[in-house]
Amino acid sequence: MKTSHTFFIRMRLSLLAGAAAFGSSFALADQPMPEFDAQVEAKRAAQAEAVSARLSPIVLGDKSYLPLAPLGAVPTPLDNPTTAAKVALGKLLFFDGRLGGDESTPCVACHLPNTGWDFPTDLSLGYPNTIHWRNSQTLINSAYYSKLFWAGSSNSLEAQARSAAKGSVAGNGEDDLMEARLAVVPEYVESFRQIFGDHYPKISNAWKAIGAFERTLNQTDTPLDNYLLGDKSALTAQQLKGKKLFEGKANCIACHNGALASDEKYYNIGVPTNKRWEKEALAQITFRYELYAKGSNEEQYRTAKADPGVYFRGKRADMKGKFRTPSLRYTKYTAPYMHNGTIETLADVIDFYNKGGISKDGRTSGFVKTKSKLIKPLNLNRAEKADLLAFLGSFSGDKLVMDYPAIPESKPLFTKQALLEAIK
Amino acid sequence: MKKRLLLPILIGVSFTSMPLLAQETMAFGPLPKVKVDTAKAELGKRLFFDKRLSGNASLACASCHQPESGFSYPAPLAPAYTGSKGFRNVPSLINTSLKEVWFHDGRLGTNLNDVTREMITEDWLMNMDMRLMQERIKQDPIYVAMFKKAGYGEPSNGSVRKAIPEYLKTLTSSKAPYDKGELSAQAKQGLELFKGKAGCTACHNGPLLSDGMAYNTGVKENLDIFLDPERHETFIAFNMFMGNENYMNLKRDVGAHVQSHKIDGSDMGKFVTPSLRELKQTAPYMHNGTIASLADVVAFYNQGGGQDSNKDSRLKPLNLTQQEELALVAFLESLSAEPLTSEAHVWTKNDYQYQATKNWLKAKN
Repeated sequence: MKTSHTFFIRMRLSLLAGAAAFGSSFALADQPMPEFDAQVEAKRAAQAEAVSARLSPIVLGDKSYLPLAPLGAVPTPLDNPTTAAKVALGKLLFFDGRLGGDESTPCVACHLPNTGWDFPTDLSLGYPNTIHWRNSQTLINSAYYSKLFWAGSSNSLEAQARSAAKGSVAGNGEDDLMEARLAVVPEYVESFRQIFGDHYPKISNAWKAIGAFERTLNQTDTPLDNYLLGDKSALTAQQLKGKKLFEGKANCIACHNGALASDEKYYNIGVPTNKRWEKEALAQITFRYELYAKGSNEEQYRTAKADPGVYFRGKRADMKGKFRTPSLRYTKYTAPYMHNGTIETLADVIDFYNKGGISKDGRTSGFVKTKSKLIKPLNLNRAEKADLLAFLGSFSGDKLVMDYPAIPESKPLFTKQALLEAIK
Repeated sequence: MKKRLLLPILIGVSFTSMPLLAQETMAFGPLPKVKVDTAKAELGKRLFFDKRLSGNASLACASCHQPESGFSYPAPLAPAYTGSKGFRNVPSLINTSLKEVWFHDGRLGTNLNDVTREMITEDWLMNMDMRLMQERIKQDPIYVAMFKKAGYGEPSNGSVRKAIPEYLKTLTSSKAPYDKGELSAQAKQGLELFKGKAGCTACHNGPLLSDGMAYNTGVKENLDIFLDPERHETFIAFNMFMGNENYMNLKRDVGAHVQSHKIDGSDMGKFVTPSLRELKQTAPYMHNGTIASLADVVAFYNQGGGQDSNKDSRLKPLNLTQQEELALVAFLESLSAEPLTSEAHVWTKNDYQYQATKNWLKAKN
């Protein structure tokens, strides 16, 4: 029964994501995700943190920003230390459709390892017969965020995994059934017992294992990291010119700062609505559902046509249309861009900012009142835009890929003999 | 709960003012007439056959409650939502609007509005977030018109839970030979046994031929529940959700224990007396579908039911002859009419479509 899981998921995803996502003919730069090694990681992080400590802040006018920096140690919750066994279990669960409603939406369904660890369409894959309403984000380096999701609604990878697996237009799973499914898999029962001391797998520990696995999905050797760590040949002359613009004229550093290249604050930068909402019935259904389920007054439910973003978390008018600054790391592989995937390429992203937050078709945010004052025309010329684009490329290293593991099988818990002998 | 369970008996005899003796002989029928709002029922009918009422749009109510099988399902155990399999036999919905207690374990004793909600939202049944269901329905112009015509205004999940029960009121027995007074001589003999020697009326009484109470008759377990992991995980999830202790080690369906939770377990394995109407359409029988034919059911009771330490003490061997068993079967069969498969009861049009809202930016949601 469960052996068909992976096959089914692959079939479904290959139709959507294109056959290029699978098979053995990866591009030259594709690298298998390195195995987790606590010692190697500790040494690397110590070096990076020593270097970071010596970097000076970027001062622009009267503002001072954290400098871009190599990534240090992976932030890890005290109640969920990363161990090799837990990572191995989390990997299986990440690929296992049991953690969802109809077993077709494991984590991997929207975070495809071989196409950027996100989903390659503007709006993410929804639960069957739905469309999601936001762009799926890459998992690479996601462990460094303190706020997950575009509106920062989860504060840990564990909480994010749980919310994604249960959301009605995402995983649509329920705790009791997901937990029961794990209980009839002898391999899981044994692993949860060893790792967490569970008599039978607890669903809360499944999120912990997935969180631990995701904390190993990092890229810390990008050209930018290598440059900052002392390899002055890691960036080209053009990239260095781009870096200067990034930290100066283009003012990217105002939000994209620090090791993650994200300040994790919320801004309305002027991204227009996704046009699919104007044309597609399923997209309209999801849009209204989100307004309704996340809590809207009647006026907002009836009239809103743009994603209110972080507004749902505080319900203050000045929060409308704001989203958390995303990291720029690994963006080479994560097109399309922005919370609703409306900008196709990084070159287009630069054009968008250069025009002051105006898209190719001349549109901007549905919430003009909250648009950030930081967003204004940049007057970059063609060469400057090319330099900036080259520099953006330095936030990504090799493409990190992963083979799909074999999903463990369910087995009967009782023998027929034991059932027949049970006293009623 | 016990007080509630008594209600069906009271209702069963109170609709008529006939003298006591006449009441006894007529106690199994006819069924009270139910008033139906046509526009609401028509809407409910379309909803009942609409797969979009399940999370991944793979199951309609009618997927398990099939008209040609008496609005039940022709297998021992029920199908379920994708990824799950059921652990009980699908009960018929014919005359369900006349019941006071629903599900084999009697876990809901309020109304069909609640039953409808439970079926649509439960993760192993239709796994639907009703807020999303509401938005789906609003995207179908035929529904928008039907809700309005039914007097519900804008489509809402609350109205869905009213319209489906209204449709269920249309699924009633009326044309069985028994109701038309067309019993064969053999069936008449069966009726006398039913009321007398066989003692069936102890539980099967009232117009539905059910007292709505839960008993343990010793029906054997359906081991498929435990031997098929996909069924077992569904069973585990259900028992976990219902607050049953030791749900990982259960080797039996606890039945009405989910309601009474008796600490000594004396309520284990009790199931609500089913109606005997439309039985010809609804094989196999019992809460777990382990008895294939009516002849086997009669033979089961003739031997005094099954084995169970909680078995109702009134179940004793009946000493029915083979001829008497056949007569009882003939009576049971006289309680069935033809399946309700015409357009009056089935939404036959394949007109389920979403339509994108035009001029969306200006339109009111």
